[in-house]
Amino acid sequence: MRQAYCRSAGEDIRCDAGNLKSGGYWIRIQIPAPFNLMPDYFDTQIRAALANTGLQEALDANAERRIEARLQANAALPNHQVLRRRAHSVRASTLAKLDEYLEQFITKAQLNGLIVHRAADAAQATQIVIEIARENNAHLVAKSKSMISEEIGLNHALEAVGLRVVETDLGEYIIQLRGERPAHILTPAVHLSRVDVGQTFHESLGLPFSDDVPTLVAAARQALRMVFLEAEIGITGVNFGVAESGTLCLVTNEGNGRMVTTLPPVHIALMGIERLVPTLDNLALLLTLLPRAATGQKITVYTNLINSPRRPGDPDGPRQRHLILVDNGREALRQSPLAQALLCIRCGACLNACPVFREIGGHAYVGLRGEISTYPGPIGAIISPGLFGQSEFGHLARASSLCGACKEACPVDIDLPKLLLRVRAGGIKIDPGRAKQTLPGLVAIGIRAFTWFSIDVRRFRLAQRMLGFFSRILAPRSLWMHLPVFTGWGYSKDFPRPDLRSFRRRWMSRQSAISVIRESRDSLDQLSETSGDESSDYQSLATRFAIELMALGGEFTLCSRSDLAQYILKILHNHNIGSLLSWETDQLPNSLLEAIQTAGIQVSHDLDPSIRAGLTGTLAAVADTGTLVMTGGPGRALFSSLLPEVHIAILRTSDIRESLPQVLGMREIQSAASVVLISGPSRTADIEMTLTIGVHGPRELYVLCLDE
Amino acid sequence: MVENMAMIETIQFFVTCLVDTLYPQVGEAAVRVLRRVGARVEFPAGQTCCGQPAFNAGMRPQARQMAEHTIRVLESAPGVVVLPSGSCAAMIRHGYPEIFAGDSRWSLRAETLAKRTYELTEFLVDILGVTDVQARFAGQLAYHASCHLSRDLGVILQPGLLLRNVKEADIVELPHSDECCGFGGLFSFEYPEISHAMLDRKIHNIRSSSASVVVACDAGCITHINGGLHRRGLSPCVRHIAEVLEKT
Repeated sequence: MRQAYCRSAGEDIRCDAGNLKSGGYWIRIQIPAPFNLMPDYFDTQIRAALANTGLQEALDANAERRIEARLQANAALPNHQVLRRRAHSVRASTLAKLDEYLEQFITKAQLNGLIVHRAADAAQATQIVIEIARENNAHLVAKSKSMISEEIGLNHALEAVGLRVVETDLGEYIIQLRGERPAHILTPAVHLSRVDVGQTFHESLGLPFSDDVPTLVAAARQALRMVFLEAEIGITGVNFGVAESGTLCLVTNEGNGRMVTTLPPVHIALMGIERLVPTLDNLALLLTLLPRAATGQKITVYTNLINSPRRPGDPDGPRQRHLILVDNGREALRQSPLAQALLCIRCGACLNACPVFREIGGHAYVGLRGEISTYPGPIGAIISPGLFGQSEFGHLARASSLCGACKEACPVDIDLPKLLLRVRAGGIKIDPGRAKQTLPGLVAIGIRAFTWFSIDVRRFRLAQRMLGFFSRILAPRSLWMHLPVFTGWGYSKDFPRPDLRSFRRRWMSRQSAISVIRESRDSLDQLSETSGDESSDYQSLATRFAIELMALGGEFTLCSRSDLAQYILKILHNHNIGSLLSWETDQLPNSLLEAIQTAGIQVSHDLDPSIRAGLTGTLAAVADTGTLVMTGGPGRALFSSLLPEVHIAILRTSDIRESLPQVLGMREIQSAASVVLISGPSRTADIEMTLTIGVHGPRELYVLCLDE
Repeated sequence: MVENMAMIETIQFFVTCLVDTLYPQVGEAAVRVLRRVGARVEFPAGQTCCGQPAFNAGMRPQARQMAEHTIRVLESAPGVVVLPSGSCAAMIRHGYPEIFAGDSRWSLRAETLAKRTYELTEFLVDILGVTDVQARFAGQLAYHASCHLSRDLGVILQPGLLLRNVKEADIVELPHSDECCGFGGLFSFEYPEISHAMLDRKIHNIRSSSASVVVACDAGCITHINGGLHRRGLSPCVRHIAEVLEKT
């Protein structure tokens, strides 16, 4: 196992290079075993599927066509949502009283002349078929597509005792010729192109190569016609059994189902015990939904309702009809938290809708030992572990983004995401011990640690600060972190660097700021008499300024000198701005512009109306009104705070004054050629008294306040 | 501005761990929008994470610990609980009752919290009846429908109603806007190749639209799509709906 994985993992996996910045493809590093997050075979199959362009095209075409067809067909039903909820409750109530309905069904079917068998597991079911074949001295078996026969491995078992088995559904026939398993429960050959099929027919049937679809279909028709006529036994599945009448319902489009149930002298129907509906009325409801969900058809081409074998005087029909009711884990599943999965009517809509299935296809859904799961896709990721074991198939349920497209598509409204989560939590028995079997070690450790930090807010705050700190070691200059590939995320995405000031810190400091200002107002009278502590004065002024500025629509951030560049870069980044109209270096904090330029921002000091952000310092600010004060002059262009959409101003807390008169009394104001007082972003109410932000000046104003 | 606010006096704002840590400005924007429509916003200080990562990992005991913590923190606070995230709201509304099923005492507490918990846009539109928050945002806006918000909570039209009333905004179509971006929480770490392929599809759809800003209601999608855009040398253009609605 490990070797197989390593070989594959050691190869370079090419990724879609179309729009990648950094060179086109990654080299997939070999992940050491403790950090290997995926079961080996599953991982290998996923990569193979993603790298198979032919498969990708086929899966895209399948998803697009099927989803569109389903949506259109359902839209034509005025009460589609009502119907699917009704179908859900019909199926659920049937399962709730399954024993009663099974008894009724069996009694009716026997009265109708069917020979009914019950099989507890796959071995019993195949053995029953083998015995029927022997009794009838059969050599050739014609099969119509049936998932339950796949589930019990019927073909293999029959071939092992010398029977020739031929699949007659075109898709099944193709994959049987290729020795493959179905890639989809409805369209078994969904993964193949017409060229693949042509090649298969050429190699297996000795026909001249053709990729013309009608030619290929005609070839299959001809090859299979003799099988229908010569087979001693026809085997089918059952879409629905009707309890009140003992009827078997089979839906097909190709007509092979009709052939198989009509021509061979013996018909064997295999049916999961859960595929029952109580009444023909209920059957009508489900037949309204099944084909729409499956193929977007209002109804399939052929809907067969089978009650009995050939009766005296009938021109055709088998003389014997057997019904084999298969449990194979269903009763246990019915008693488990995954019971709802038994509502499934095998339409395949969840496979078509699933974005994961669309990427990896049915053959990627493999068990722990590499065996392909009979049931792929979202429903397969539930019933495979449900029927065949959590330890073998439980990991399939992890390969889901839980997007819910499956649930939305399901004609009987199965809550698939909820069931997937139950599989992850342990499946048949939701207990933590079982979950471990499929849970990657690194994830388990991570979640345990995260939980420890999350159940105590002090630890949580500590973790946030640690993240903020360590992220700056990992990415000192960028707002994005390039995580290593083994994390999974780093494979093709960057991760945003956590903010140094979390929401809760901002909230708390604002709350305390508001309480500070209340206190300071109360004690202002006292303070004004005794000269007081200067630093607390600054703080209360800064707080008052901040509150006023924010009321005007400006943004206020308190930061340290070392964080200044990062804050500016973040603002630019959030606006997608790559160049900055700035005051000159000597008018701003030391080496600030250098840091900004190093991060790739173009800095200009010349009048350029196309630049969308401006950076300035400030001479002073007025706490009472939230006003910034700037003087023009060498290196301090006034257009930097006027032309761009975004104005970023750097302010020192020590430059904040209480009121306007104090500012206007400053020496610099009186000596400057021009002074501007800025109170919030540009706005007007000139038109219909409607407040509009960003008329001619900046639409947004950010004040970065240096607490020094 | 908005009247009829007497019914909803107090909102407990559950900021969610991602917004708290990665996007504090989104939390602030949401608070501003809520205040603008007249709500009194409180922040229960003990809040941490709702437990969704553990729940999605299948680690129910750990998920339960976090859920119990969250219930304790929120149940003593008055009023409704509002979150700026569809998946976390879905976790509380549908995940918590699932976690505590069979435990009558805790499941009552979980159900009680579930019934008074709302995602931001759902709260604005369905509970307050507000579709115009007096926002102004110039640009081509497209909406990405986050999976849990639309398919688990059934909040499909609300974000669009709010965006339609944003002045100067030009609402453009995002093809296959309800297709998953491939995040899925742990899924994107455990199955990076599949997640990558799904994200490629989403990015292709974004690039084929005329949107300058893609709006989403879940920090998970935002982190994922923007992280992918940034790695590809493209502009991370996905913003939280609160950041659009706060602008006036």
